[in-house]
Amino acid sequence: MSRLYERLSTAVLEGDAEKSPKLVQRALDNGLGPKEILDNGLVPGMNEVGVRFKRGDMFVPEVLMSADAMKEGLELLRPYLAAAGAKLIGKIVMGTVKGDLHDIGKNLVGMMCEGAGFEVINLGFNVEPEKFVEAIKEHQPDIVGMSALLTTTMRSMGYAIKAIEEAGLRDQVKIMIGGAPVDAPFADRIGADGYGSNGPAGADLAKQFVGA
Amino acid sequence: MLSDDQLQELFDGVLHVLEYTGLEVQHKKARKILKKAGAWVDGDRVRIPAYLVKDALAKAPRSFTIFARDGNPENDIHIGPGRAHFGPGPTPPNFIDIETLERRPYVRSDSEIVATVCDALPNIDFCESLGTISDVHDELAASYEFATMFPKTSKPIVAWSFGKDDAEDIHKIAIAEAGGQDAFEKRPNYVHYCEPLSPLVSTVEALDKLIFCAKHRVPVIFTPCPLAGGTAPITAAGIITQAAAESWMGLVIAQTLRPGLPFFMGGVLSVMDMSAMILAYGAPELSLMMAGHTELAHFAGLPLWQTGGCTDSKTLDEQAALEGSLSVYFSALSGGDLCHDVGYTESGMTGSILQTVMMDEAIGYSRRITRGIEVTEETLAVDVIHDVGPNGHYLREQHTRDHYKTEFWYPNLCDRRNFEEWQEMGSTTMRDRVIARTHDIMATHQPTPIKPETEQAIEAVLAAAEERVKE
Repeated sequence: MSRLYERLSTAVLEGDAEKSPKLVQRALDNGLGPKEILDNGLVPGMNEVGVRFKRGDMFVPEVLMSADAMKEGLELLRPYLAAAGAKLIGKIVMGTVKGDLHDIGKNLVGMMCEGAGFEVINLGFNVEPEKFVEAIKEHQPDIVGMSALLTTTMRSMGYAIKAIEEAGLRDQVKIMIGGAPVDAPFADRIGADGYGSNGPAGADLAKQFVGA
Repeated sequence: MLSDDQLQELFDGVLHVLEYTGLEVQHKKARKILKKAGAWVDGDRVRIPAYLVKDALAKAPRSFTIFARDGNPENDIHIGPGRAHFGPGPTPPNFIDIETLERRPYVRSDSEIVATVCDALPNIDFCESLGTISDVHDELAASYEFATMFPKTSKPIVAWSFGKDDAEDIHKIAIAEAGGQDAFEKRPNYVHYCEPLSPLVSTVEALDKLIFCAKHRVPVIFTPCPLAGGTAPITAAGIITQAAAESWMGLVIAQTLRPGLPFFMGGVLSVMDMSAMILAYGAPELSLMMAGHTELAHFAGLPLWQTGGCTDSKTLDEQAALEGSLSVYFSALSGGDLCHDVGYTESGMTGSILQTVMMDEAIGYSRRITRGIEVTEETLAVDVIHDVGPNGHYLREQHTRDHYKTEFWYPNLCDRRNFEEWQEMGSTTMRDRVIARTHDIMATHQPTPIKPETEQAIEAVLAAAEERVKE
């Protein structure tokens, strides 16, 4: 195992977004495979971030710095992964549902998912059910993420899921939901596949969905 | 809290008591010292003219430093305006066992636990024993206590003793670590605690200790424990006036013997509960009277021995949290210089390091509030607000990254997780987490060791002390 993998993990853990692409480049120059660089360098670093955050040893701004370092490294790696036929971890479409203008939590989940190696298509806020349907058709994601902050708008998630079902797309995607008033029983009730309680938990759930 | 006019009235009241009523001074040598200085001595009764008191106040320092024994500057205590420090208290007979959680007599090994835990807690600044050791010779409890605690914490210890002999035991250990008497005088590494009697008596023991401290330049606390309605007037202004007079008798003697000696004005002021007949440690009047006493001390130019973090509860429960937290918060607001009794329960009958651990959290919380709001160009963040604009967010801003660690206080014990995570972590209560943290500290914390010569000094001091009490 190359020492470079370890240094790359450390760069991600320390949130050094300048160093991580440089180390990715050096690994490529040394002839290491792009998939190996991802699996042995970037991903273990981000996994450790998740562990430390959960333990209370890292805070959100630090986790975001790590996510940035991961993203910068991955950006550089992406064409090589594509050329090698290696699949990225997955694709997510996400949005805050109709009637709700709050999106810092959803954006946080998006950043965490990007940091975990997903491609994220962010539909913004006040997203109509039909827009989720169109986005699934257009982007062919593995996962759809929905969010709401208000008790008055959380029901919109159920409507969006119904619209996806009626369009015959429900089996193509896993659906995860989040937001302050939401919990796991609610996710069950409206027919979502899972619930994440915060940004890192959302990214964890997404990883479980794609088996990463 | 008090206006300048009110403080002046209190100040004048204290001078009046000292000049016209005077105190009973039971120590012959102290009476001689006072007479020579210009006090009026009539049998045991000593009256002190106001100018002598003012002279002593002028000599006593408002700002000074008590040093960590190991030279770690983070554990030094800088006494001065606007700085509140916290620690436990001395001498309850009982202790809450940290394993069985039962109340039982305080034993020597408890001193080790208290010192180790105090050393580890981020918001505890000084160490005191929370008990009187019951499993050594009666007269050596204080000597064993200091000898046991000193190796386990580098935070300054507030020591107490029965009298002169054990005060000397303690001092020998401290100067061994400091590198001799001269070195100690430049960098004192402990404080000594003396307690006169209310109302208006300076006892032989209290003055023996005070004179010892003055001779050896040991920073000293002179603190009566009057009960409003019992051994002091029932009114707040009255008890403050009497307690200050009792403490300033010690001040005059100390400053006459050793001008410039670091001196803490004292007084644990609380009410005698008229139904339970106890000194109430959880009473709102304690916080109120102590705040008034603090303001008078600062008005007179002295640091104060404050009180807080204590409770009348018998166990680590909601009453203990409520009484302890409110008194800690009020003490922090008043800026009392050394706030003791953090960990007193059952009206001072039982020491509990668990209470101290819980109060460490309340002190951190209070300190975040007393630190206040800093207003500068950087903290106003007008340019950051402009850059982020409507519908943006601040999580990725350098400004956020620069300040999130210092601008927010992060709890150690209070739980802020969501319900599911809290449940996943065992659905713990505050009490569970306090106990777990205490056990964790005892299992992992490593205090800085003392010097080998200090270890030898401790052995020699304890051996000599055992010989002394044989006779």
